[in-house]
Amino acid sequence: MDLSMLKPGERGKITKVGAIGLLKRRLMDMGVLVGEEVKLEKIAPLGDPIEVTIKNYKLSLRKKEAEGIAVEVIR
Amino acid sequence: MSVQTVGSQEVRAITVAVAGNPNAGKSTLINAIAGTRLHVGNWPGVTVEKKEAVFEYGGRKIKLVDLPGTYSLSPYTQEEIIARDYLVHEKPEVIIDVVDATNLERNLYLTVQLVELDIPMIIALNIHDEAEKKGYRIDAKAMERMLGVRVIPTVATKELGLADLLKAIVELADNPAGHLPKRLHYGEDIESAAQAVSAKIIDGSPSLTGKYPARWLAYKLLESDDHVLRETTVDNSGFLEEATRHLRKAHGDDIESIMADARYAQASGVTHEVLKKPEFRKTEVTEKIDGIVLNRFLGIPIFFAAMWLVFKFTFDVSAPFAEWIHTMTDGPFKRWVAVMLGFIHAPPWTVSLATDGVIAGVGFVIVFVPVIFAMMFFITFLEGSGYMARAAFVMDRAMHAMGLHGKSFIPMLLGFGCNVPAVYATRTLENPRDKALTALLIPLMSCGARLPVYVVFIGAFFPSHAGTILWSLYVMGIVLAVVMGIIFKRTLFRGESPLFIMELPPYRLPSFKSLMIHTWEKGKHFLIKAGTYIFAVSILVWFLLNLPWGVENKKDSYLGKTGQIIAPVLAPLGFGNWEASSSLISGLIAKEIVVGTMGEIYVQKAKEKKETPTLSEDLKEIGTSFGDAARESLANVFSTFGIASISSEESAEETGERASLRTVIKGQFTPLSAYAFITFVLLYMPCVVVAIAMRQEFGTWKWFGVAFVYQMALAWVVAFAIYQGGRLLGIG
Repeated sequence: MDLSMLKPGERGKITKVGAIGLLKRRLMDMGVLVGEEVKLEKIAPLGDPIEVTIKNYKLSLRKKEAEGIAVEVIR
Repeated sequence: MSVQTVGSQEVRAITVAVAGNPNAGKSTLINAIAGTRLHVGNWPGVTVEKKEAVFEYGGRKIKLVDLPGTYSLSPYTQEEIIARDYLVHEKPEVIIDVVDATNLERNLYLTVQLVELDIPMIIALNIHDEAEKKGYRIDAKAMERMLGVRVIPTVATKELGLADLLKAIVELADNPAGHLPKRLHYGEDIESAAQAVSAKIIDGSPSLTGKYPARWLAYKLLESDDHVLRETTVDNSGFLEEATRHLRKAHGDDIESIMADARYAQASGVTHEVLKKPEFRKTEVTEKIDGIVLNRFLGIPIFFAAMWLVFKFTFDVSAPFAEWIHTMTDGPFKRWVAVMLGFIHAPPWTVSLATDGVIAGVGFVIVFVPVIFAMMFFITFLEGSGYMARAAFVMDRAMHAMGLHGKSFIPMLLGFGCNVPAVYATRTLENPRDKALTALLIPLMSCGARLPVYVVFIGAFFPSHAGTILWSLYVMGIVLAVVMGIIFKRTLFRGESPLFIMELPPYRLPSFKSLMIHTWEKGKHFLIKAGTYIFAVSILVWFLLNLPWGVENKKDSYLGKTGQIIAPVLAPLGFGNWEASSSLISGLIAKEIVVGTMGEIYVQKAKEKKETPTLSEDLKEIGTSFGDAARESLANVFSTFGIASISSEESAEETGERASLRTVIKGQFTPLSAYAFITFVLLYMPCVVVAIAMRQEFGTWKWFGVAFVYQMALAWVVAFAIYQGGRLLGIG
C-alpha cells in the first residue's frame, strides 16, 4: 500500500520511502521519513495532487510522487 | 588592542544573514526591520531575488542579508545552493533563523543544519501570537540551552520583538566566541564516522580547514554531497565509501537518509522538550477554510471566481491611471516641450525627436507602471495569504498535462490582459524550468493590445459574425498554447518534470506594510531596469519611422523600405504588400500600434487645426483628469461586484478615423486574407516590452529568442494554412 492509495481521512505510518535522488531528498527535507505518521487530508478536485498532514503541517504532492512512499494503514 | 582597531571595528558593519523556511514570515520580518532601506537586487548569476539593508542601531552599523527561503541546506534547488554558499563562504557574523512557532519541528530541521556551521545564531521565534492563540507554550529558555543559540519571540506583522532582536545582534557580534551554538550529537556511529573523515581528509589540509566550518564539512563529505565534493576537489570516494559502510549496514538505508533522520531526530527532540500543546486540538481556521476552498465540488468554481477577481482588479484598477498617464504625456507634455523648443528656434526634427521619440518613449514606459504595481500587489497578496498554494493545488492536474505547474495558471490568465505583467508574474514559480515554459506560452494568450486590431478587421469584414470570429481567435491562442506546451515538453524541456511537493501554509493576512514595500520595490525595479530598454527602443523606432528626415511618403521611410523587403515573405499568407508588412513591424512595439500605423499609411489624416490650450488650462486638466482616473479606478472596483457600470466611450474623432480605415482596408484585403492577418497578429512575436520583461526575469535573452523563433514560425504556418486552405476550399 502506498501513500497515494489512502482515502481522505485515513491515517498511515510510513514504512519505506522508495524514491531516489532529488525526489527522495526533497521528501526527506519535508519530513517524509520512515516511522512518521501521515494523514490523507484531501484529494484535489481534479483527482491529483493530494494533501497530507505530516509533522503537524500540510503538504501537497502529486500522486506520482507519493507512489514510492509505502504506508501501513492505522486503524 | 589599540584604540584605533576598536574604532574601526565599530565602523565596520556587522553582517547578519537571515535564513528560514518559506512562509515563516522572513520577508515580513526584514521589511519590518529595514523598511524602505531595503535594497533589492539579484544574486550573482541567477535571477533569484537578493534583499539587503544597511542601517544603524545603537551607533553600530548592521548589514542584513536576506537568504532565499529554504527548508534545508541540501544542494538541490537554486535557493538552497545560494543560501548555503553565502553562509559557508561569506561567513556572516550572525545568523538570524526565522522560525515559525506554529510549526516548530519542521522549521527546526533547518535550524539544526544551521547550527552545524558554528556561527553565532539567533532564532526569531516568529508568529508567536498565533502559537499562543493555539495554546502552545514554548519554553524559549530551554530551547536556548539545548541549541546554544539566542531565542527571541517575535511577531513580525505587529513589529514585536524587533528591538530585542537588534540588541541581541550586537551582543553576539561583540563576543562571537561566547555565543557559539552547541555541538549537536548525531549518535555514536555517525559522530565516529565524521571524526574519521575529519582525521583523514580535513585535518591535514589547510586549504580546507581555513575555508570551511570543520564540522559542517565533515558531515557533508560523509554524505558525499556532490556540490561540496566538486568544490573541494576532494577525491576520496573509496575512503568515504568505506567510512559509511558500517553506518549504512547498521541502519539499512543510504547515507543521505541516515543523516536526514539524525537531524530530524534532533529537531523532534528539541520540539518535544520545549513545546507544550493543549490536550484538545480545535479544528483550525485554515482547515475550515480549506474544507470549502478545496472542496471537491466547490473548489474549482471558487478558484475561478478568485481568478476573475484578481484579473478584474489588476486591469480595471490600473487602466484609468494608465489612460491618464497616456493622455498627459501625449497632450500637455508634448505641447510644452514643443513650445519650449520653439522658443529657442530648434529645428523641426529635434521637436519631433523630443516629442514623438523621447516623450512618447517615457510615456510608453510609465503607462505600464500602474498595471505592474497592481499585478505585484495582488500576486504578493495571494502568496502571502496562502491562497496561491491552494490555487496551484486545484489547477495542477490540468496544467501538468501540458508540462506546466499548477501555479502557471495565474501568469497565463494575466496574459489575457497584458503579457508584460504576466511574464513578471512567473516569479511565483520556483523552478526555473516551470518558469521558462510558462513565459514561453504566455504570448499565445491574446492580450488587450491585440483587440483593437481584431476590432477593426472584424468590423470591416465580419460584422454579422463578430462574436464568433473574436471568440475563435482567443480559443485558437489557448489551443495552440496547449499544443506548444506538449511539444516543448517533449523537445526543449525533455526529462523529468520538476517536483510539485509543496507546503500548504496556514491562511494568514499579510501585513500591509510588507505588501506595499514589495509592490513598490517591483514597480521601481520595472521603471529603472525595463524602462531604460523600452526607452531606447522607442527612440530607435522614431528613427525608423522618420528617417530619412522629411519623407513625404511613408513608403520611402526606413519602415516602409523594410516593409517592402519583408512583403514577399508574407505573400503566401494573403497580405504581401508593404503597407501590411510595415504595420506589422511597427506592431512589434505594441500590437495595437498596427492599427495606428495602418491609419497613417492608408488614411491621409485630416490634420485639422485644434486650438492649443493655455498652460493654466493644461495644468487644470492634469489635476481634474487624475481625479477622474482615481474615481474611475474606484468605480471599477465596485463594478466588479456589479454595483456600477463601466462606460468606455470612444471619442467621435477616433470612431471617424476607424470608419474610414475600415473602408480602405476593405479594398486591400479579402475576408480570408483579413482572417489570416488577424491570426498572424495574434501569434507573431511578442512585443518589445514582453521581450524586455523576459530578459529581465531570466537574466538572458535566450528565452525571448526561443519565443521569437517559434512564434514567427507558428504565425506564418497557421496564417499560411488558413489562407491557402481557405483558397483550396474556394472561400477566398
